[in-house]
This record gives sequence, structure tokens and C-alpha cells, in this order.
Amino acid sequence: MTDRIERELELPAPSDEVWEALTDPERLAGWLADEVSFDLRPGGEASFRDGETLRRGWVEEVSAPDSRDGGGRLAFWWASDDEPATRVELTLVPAEGGTRLRVVETRPLELLDAIGGPRFGSGSTSIGPQARSRALVATH
Amino acid sequence: MATTDHAGAVFGALSDPTRRRLLAAIADRPAATATELASELPISRQAVIKHLSALAQAGLLDRRRTGREVHYRVTPAPLSDAVSWMAEVGGQWDERLKALGRELGGEPRGRPER
Repeated sequence: MTDRIERELELPAPSDEVWEALTDPERLAGWLADEVSFDLRPGGEASFRDGETLRRGWVEEVSAPDSRDGGGRLAFWWASDDEPATRVELTLVPAEGGTRLRVVETRPLELLDAIGGPRFGSGSTSIGPQARSRALVATH
Repeated sequence: MATTDHAGAVFGALSDPTRRRLLAAIADRPAATATELASELPISRQAVIKHLSALAQAGLLDRRRTGREVHYRVTPAPLSDAVSWMAEVGGQWDERLKALGRELGGEPRGRPER
């Protein structure tokens, strides 16, 4: 089972300008989290601090807007210490008068359970079945 | 497993951002009362009760009366884990995208309202 949310937003700016807002840590601090660091290449580390919450993760895909069709995509994984990791995919498609941004966040629980979940730099916390059980217990 | 009708009721109940916010707030603790929720969120107690009834009717919340108070908790059905995750994460993206829209739309900048 994969939990998934999807949102779309039309922005009155060309895709390379939207791309900058999605990838420049200073611009990201204006909307994604209070403090963002991003090693912008596949496998690069990322961290996101928002108030008390610290998420760590890594970059999966970086495709800057194409000069021909203007489409671009950024995909990364993130998780706070006690939560299962989730995947965020931000896709840019040129639209009339600007750019359409599509956000998809997915939580592929079965895959994570099967492989025991990815591990992040802080300690040896496995973000897999245990966190999943805790998440279930927490809702009871 | 949920029938299509049930899923329809669930997503109908979750189409409202205030209800998603309430559900996420209740999912954070064992149980909550309408009075507690109304004191934490910018919504009247009467409106909170109305939203909680809609969530309970869709099977997302359990209602339990203890003395004069009614305690609401997120139902332990497997669906509710996914639903409360969707409510919380969806609500976070709504806030972030509002802020991004302000960044790029030329509207006044600022922190999203909470």
C-alpha cells in the first residue's frame, strides 16, 4: 500500500524562476522550511529544519527545466527521526502565463517494511517497521 | 475493507481544510474534547462540534461520553492511519504552497497563517 497526496498550483512565473525557488536554499527558506540545506545531485544529502522539527533525507532526481519543453523535476526523500521516510516529487510543466507545479508526496509503507527502511546519518534508527508500528499505535 | 460509499464519505468529510486540521490535531493525542480543540484552534466550539460530527459520521472518529464531556479519538481502523497521514501532510503542503504562491505571485510576502 502506498499513501499519497497530490497538489497542483499555477504560478505566474517562468519555469526557470520557479525552479530557483525550489532549489536555492535561501528561496526555500521562504516557503518549504525555516532552514534548508540541499546537496543538489542524485544521492546528495538534504536537511530541513522547520521550527522544532528536523527532517533529514537525500536527493533522488534533479532535472532542471529543459530548454526545449521547459519541464523539470526534483525528487527527494525525507523523514524526521521517528517517522517513516516519504518521497516528495516536484514537477514543473509550462502553462499559459506561467508554470504549473505538481507536488506528490508518497509513503510507500510496504516497500520500506520489506527492506527495513532507509537509514539516515543520525544514530542507527531504522525508519521502517518499528516506526510504522509506532505510527499505528499512536492513532489508537 | 471500505466500500466505495464509505470511501466517498471519508473523502467528503476530508474535503474541508478545517476538518483535516481537526483530524490531524486529534491524531496527535489519545483523545480530545470539543472544548480543548476550540481553545487551540481559531474556530468556535459550536463549529468544532459540527465538524467533529461530520468526521464521526464518516467513521473517522469515535465518540465516547464520560460524564458531561464527549471525548473524540481517531478510529483505529487501518484506513485511519492513511487518512490521518493524508490530512496532516496535505495540510502542510497547502500551507507551503500558499507561501510559495506569495513568493512567486508578487503578493505580500510573509509567514503562512497558522
